[in-house]
Amino acid sequence: MLVFRTHMRTTTPTNTTMCTDPMPLLQLLQLADSAVPIGSAAHSFGLETLVQDGLSVDELTLWFTGYLAEAGRLDAAAARTAHRSAFLADTEFIQQWINLNQKLSALKSGRESRNASTTLGRRFLSLAAALAAEDLRLRQASVAARQPGGVTHHCVAFGLVAARLGIAEETAAAVYLQQSIMGLVSACQRLMPLGQQQASGILWALKKPIVEAAQSANIDEAAPFLPTLDLAAMRHPYLSTRLFIS
Amino acid sequence: MQGVNGSISLHFESNGRGSTILTDQQQRPPLQVIRAFDTGDGAALVHLHNVSGGVLAGDHLETTVTVGPGARARVTSTSSTRVYRHQESRGDAKIINTATIAANGILEWLPDSLIPYAGSRCEQTTVVTMDTGSGLFWWEIVGPGRTAHNEVFQYERLRLNFDVFTPDALIFQERICLEPALRPLSEPARLGPYRYFCSFVVAKVGEDARTWLDLESRLHEQTREWSLGDASWGVSTLPAHGLILRGLGVNARDLLPGLQAYWQTAKRALYGIDAIVPRKVY
Repeated sequence: MLVFRTHMRTTTPTNTTMCTDPMPLLQLLQLADSAVPIGSAAHSFGLETLVQDGLSVDELTLWFTGYLAEAGRLDAAAARTAHRSAFLADTEFIQQWINLNQKLSALKSGRESRNASTTLGRRFLSLAAALAAEDLRLRQASVAARQPGGVTHHCVAFGLVAARLGIAEETAAAVYLQQSIMGLVSACQRLMPLGQQQASGILWALKKPIVEAAQSANIDEAAPFLPTLDLAAMRHPYLSTRLFIS
Repeated sequence: MQGVNGSISLHFESNGRGSTILTDQQQRPPLQVIRAFDTGDGAALVHLHNVSGGVLAGDHLETTVTVGPGARARVTSTSSTRVYRHQESRGDAKIINTATIAANGILEWLPDSLIPYAGSRCEQTTVVTMDTGSGLFWWEIVGPGRTAHNEVFQYERLRLNFDVFTPDALIFQERICLEPALRPLSEPARLGPYRYFCSFVVAKVGEDARTWLDLESRLHEQTREWSLGDASWGVSTLPAHGLILRGLGVNARDLLPGLQAYWQTAKRALYGIDAIVPRKVY
């Protein structure tokens, strides 16, 4: 069984105090991989509708750049907020955890995308808590998520787990966005005539927008405006033919 | 020179005989309500008026609405809200709307569109607090600018903040910050080919999830009819107690008829009564 090294940390890791031990990075790479068994490959978060509406391969890089500048900044800020809460006192942590997840649910207006985010979050947290069975904070968050009305969004769970691994806050947000965009580009490959090399080119071109979005640290300043995707996500449950759950 | 601090406070009460009356009204120009009208369906209708003709740079305009237990208030505007050009000597214009709806009260907030002129800077903050059994119908339409003057997305900054609280949770939050020069709105991830956007929050505290899913499904069928022209619509349940409709349109006329149709459907489904369009010329 993998053992998180979080029992050695007592403070929030920052970019300057980031440990050079490769173990946390390896653990995070595993959890950020598309093969992590939480079901993320089954979700397009509304992209499937947009593709049916005519989103073309040629538009993808610009579309994802806009996505990162809006939704990416929100998710990054949420991941970073969760990251900063990882070493708070118990009561304060639980209250922040509940408030942050509730706020994200209120901000994500598409039912399917919201449910996708919380389903992935719950599974991700559950997996991480199982892998790091001795990490009380992860167990605490997992218990809070199972309370009536309790939810865990994927970006929030990711930020918390990354903090417990000792990964720096901004890096954690960038890695979250990277795996999120990889999942969406992968969805595009199944929906559009998008080849592997072209997909790799898009992902490569999006590194700078990912890094910029990951700088968003304050959840109260995030102001995502993606109305075309919102509408697409809202219409997705009613598509007559679909490959994805969301 | 600074902008003006205008405010208006409206309190609606049930008269106990099936009607609603405007019992308390305090106003400081340029915001004004002349009188409340009995709409015949138990609601009181007021028209919010900005006698200065619009929101000027540095203006701070605050509207507070309280709806008492069982009362029904319908609020509209006399015309679009025009936000004028920013002036360096003044701060950003601020519009603050606060509404509190007591148990079993209903608030219908159905204004004309918000039009941010070229060079304008404005922040609108709306907070609605709902008690048990209360209902909310709240729409917001935002235009691209003075299209007749070929002003499209030439405003400097428009911030829209919107929160809806129920006794057990925050059920809806919107944070929008539009700075078209920095993040072009016509990009495909944002508005794409559309120029107008709107949101319509429908909520009733205590209705169960099944009710909202059924209403979402019915409204979705309706949105398909209204999405055939230069408009696109979507509807989704909120985490609890309500749903949200969003619409995009190329022209101003693309959105309002759809909003009125959804309002009618939702009002009938939740209250079994018709939605009566405010008396004015659309």
